[in-house]
Amino acid sequence: MPDLTSNGMCHEFDGLLADALDGVLSSLQLDRFQAHARTCSGCGPLFAEVEAGRNWLKGLTEVEPPASLVNNILASTTGVDSQRLRVNVSAPQPRGSKVGPSWLEQAQAWASGAMQPVWGTVRQPRFAMSFGMAFFALSVALSVLGVKPADLREVSLRPAAIRHTFYNTQARVVRYYENIRFVYEVESRVRELKRTIEPAAPRSGESAPDKKDRKNDTTQQPEQKQERNYSQTGNNLILASAPLGPSVFDPLNQDPLNQDPPVVSVTTYRRFV
Amino acid sequence: MEDVQVVAMLVRRCVAGDAAAWEEIVLTYNRRIYNICYRFAGSADNAEDLTQEVFIKMYRTLGSYDSSKGAFVTWVTTITRNLLVDHFRKTKQDRITDSLDATSSAHEDAQPLSEQIQDQSAPPDARVRSREVGETVHAALAKLSPELREAVILRDLQDFDYKEIATVLKVPEGTVKSRINRGRAELARLLQRTYRQVM
Repeated sequence: MPDLTSNGMCHEFDGLLADALDGVLSSLQLDRFQAHARTCSGCGPLFAEVEAGRNWLKGLTEVEPPASLVNNILASTTGVDSQRLRVNVSAPQPRGSKVGPSWLEQAQAWASGAMQPVWGTVRQPRFAMSFGMAFFALSVALSVLGVKPADLREVSLRPAAIRHTFYNTQARVVRYYENIRFVYEVESRVRELKRTIEPAAPRSGESAPDKKDRKNDTTQQPEQKQERNYSQTGNNLILASAPLGPSVFDPLNQDPLNQDPPVVSVTTYRRFV
Repeated sequence: MEDVQVVAMLVRRCVAGDAAAWEEIVLTYNRRIYNICYRFAGSADNAEDLTQEVFIKMYRTLGSYDSSKGAFVTWVTTITRNLLVDHFRKTKQDRITDSLDATSSAHEDAQPLSEQIQDQSAPPDARVRSREVGETVHAALAKLSPELREAVILRDLQDFDYKEIATVLKVPEGTVKSRINRGRAELARLLQRTYRQVM
């Protein structure tokens, strides 16, 4: 029993404080405790504050949880609606019936029990969002590939039909391969024929070094562009005309006033394609 | 507080896949867990979300419960407390234990809680006044540091004994008592300051 009358034992006061408030101290202990609380300037107010704090907290009443809380918890854990669960649990069995659940029901019950944790996890919003995105991506991919659900409905799944489809598809692939091979053979023959008929082609390597040099040019200077008069290329028609008569330049005519300079008019007819 | 055998049987049924047993557990403990979460987190929305998280965690780890190591309610409360502490760390809530007015008066124009109470029309009904007092105490509780808050919640609001609280908080009983005393005293100081200004 600590000596609570001495100031050095104030730190023991804290340990007995809770017990004193709980009323588990013996009468002797309580007397000494209260005597110290009266005399000690630090422990007395502390006791009053602790007691007041406890009274404040005892005045707090329990709050009512939201009505949907239980359903939300069950939905997020088992994925089962509690209302349906209650109906199943409280469903009365017919009197005298000894027929137990069928093997199918037992299998379903076992599967639902095994899948409950998985299903509960899957039903969380983040997973639901992931599945939504996956479904969206799949539907977009199918629509891009041209697969329609309506087509799938007409697909016959009989073994004979599946075999028939398989052989059809195989024959189509073989036919396509043979056609492609024939086309390539014809192309190669034509190329060989051209090579034998045409004279030796000019050396195609002449311009290659230029291109190579240009590629290796790291001076970052822009290439010299070839100046072209695009109006004179292509299918443009250019007509030039010089008027005859007085306006023609006469070298014998010395009168500068009557001497007109030669005029050449150029008319361009562009063909807009 | 709870019949150990009945609860152990309930847990075994639940682990075996009995959905009705799980529903019974939810119905039995949702109120207690919600109240702990509400008093610790401070808001009803957070409390609802946290309660759901507690039950999800409990559902996943129910197989690890050992009835020989302690009562089920202690195990449940430990899960709740751990999750609340995690939530507190994630949200980085203020750990300031200053008075309500001191916190509010950080801004010059902020109106202290005492003035907020004073400005409201005097409650004619005692029930309204009691509710307001409850809200003030709840707000003051939210200002305590989490260590003190969880100790006083478990002791004064959930009526746990010191041994159970020591198990949940994983600290010695002496530390539990010390935290409870400090929490109560701090709460009293906060409320005393608030109501002194009201009067």
